[in-house]
This record gives sequence, structure tokens and C-alpha cells, in this order.
Amino acid sequence: MAKRTLALCRQAPYGSALAREGLEAVLAAAAMDQAPDLLLLRDGAFQLLGDQSPEGIGQKSLQRNLLALPMFGVERVYVCERSLMERGIDAKRIEIPGVKVELVLDTGSFIAAYDTVLSF
Amino acid sequence: MKFSLAVYSAPHSSQSAASALRFAQALLAQGHQLYRVFFYCDGVHNGSSIAAPPQDEFDLVGQWQALQRQHQLDLVICIAAAQRRGVLSEREAERLEKPAANLADGFELAGLGQLADAVANSDRLVTFGG
Repeated sequence: MAKRTLALCRQAPYGSALAREGLEAVLAAAAMDQAPDLLLLRDGAFQLLGDQSPEGIGQKSLQRNLLALPMFGVERVYVCERSLMERGIDAKRIEIPGVKVELVLDTGSFIAAYDTVLSF
Repeated sequence: MKFSLAVYSAPHSSQSAASALRFAQALLAQGHQLYRVFFYCDGVHNGSSIAAPPQDEFDLVGQWQALQRQHQLDLVICIAAAQRRGVLSEREAERLEKPAANLADGFELAGLGQLADAVANSDRLVTFGG
């Protein structure tokens, strides 16, 4: 049976290189038909917000990486509901075309169901 | 048990990289296998041959190299992360027209697929730093 792998994305999109490099690792694994599930947690929830204008700080948009997910067979991402609440992010404001966003309430038991966790 | 490690932190800036090395030493000493150490993000600096810490400080790069020689470890540095941060093999330095190469012996540059491969082929992946 194939291993179940989860990628945890915990960083806001432009504060740390780990946000971008995490998504790059997810896409690389997906390109090898080993797509992990994706859980956006804590400040990682900010990655899902639309209307980002990173050009103002000389950054490339991270949303392009998220938009590429369905092309690599990732059609669903999970987001921690409490992380959204704590940051005042309305779940209705998060949308990635081609990707279904599912809220997770009990992240602990959710994560425990995976064989391997990649932490970014 | 078969382990792989993912190292995201540079040596000499946080304890994470040193903890990864000590974890690697401990698991090998206990008879476990180390399938691969994958250096990603700032962790790529662990493979820089030109780091020159003061003599009374821990030489992390040298310790990784010694462990690699002793156990024929697969120490893989993510090539994309390394290019961004200036850790280049002779070949990459030439290809990218940069004036110097600094990839330490015992480490190799490879793609992110090696991380996915490590996940697929190890019982445990342990992440340090980030």
C-alpha cells in the first residue's frame, strides 16, 4: 500500500523562503506521482488569500505555485479552521481555481493519520 | 529502522543543523540505517567547503564529511536551493558562469525528487529546522 504523506505549510507566503520552497517540494513530489496531501496551518493560511501583490516587495507570486497544483493532480488542499479564525480570515475569501479547499478542525488527529509528514 | 533526515537550517546560525548531525550519529550508533540526508532551504550551507569557523568551534561541515566517509552516507543538497544561495559544484559554477565553486567533498547536488524518493524509501523522515 502506498504511503500517505502530508505536507504541512506553516509559513506566510513571503516572510520566509520556506513557504515557496515547501510548495516547490510538493510540486516536485507530485511530478513523480507521489503528491502529498497539503495542510495549511497557522500563518500558512495566508498563502490562500487572493489579491496578493508581491511585486511591491520584489517577490514572485506564490499563488502561481498554488494554481499549478491541479495540473500536478493535487485537487484538494486542507486548511486549519482555527488558524483561519485566529487570523480573521473568512473561509469564503479563500479560493484556488480547480482546487477544493476543505476545513480541518481537529488537526492533531488529522495529521496522525499520515505515515510521513513533510514540515515546511 | 530506515531513516532519512531533512535539514533546513544553516550551520552556525541555529542549533538545528548540529542537532541533525548528532541525531544521525546516534541512530547509526544504534544500528539503524540512514537512507539519505537531504539539505534544503538554508540547510544547503552545510555543504559549503569554504565555511571557516573559529578553531574552538564545532566544524559541522567537517563532521558531516567524516560521518559520510565512515558510513558512505548519501548527503544530498537540493540543487535549486543551493543555486539561490551560492553553493555550487565545479560543473554548476562553470555552467552558470560564476567565479568559484564551493561544494564540499562528500556532498552531491541533486533535485527535489530525491526528497520524495527519501520519503518513499524510509520508515521515518525527521526534519530539522525551518
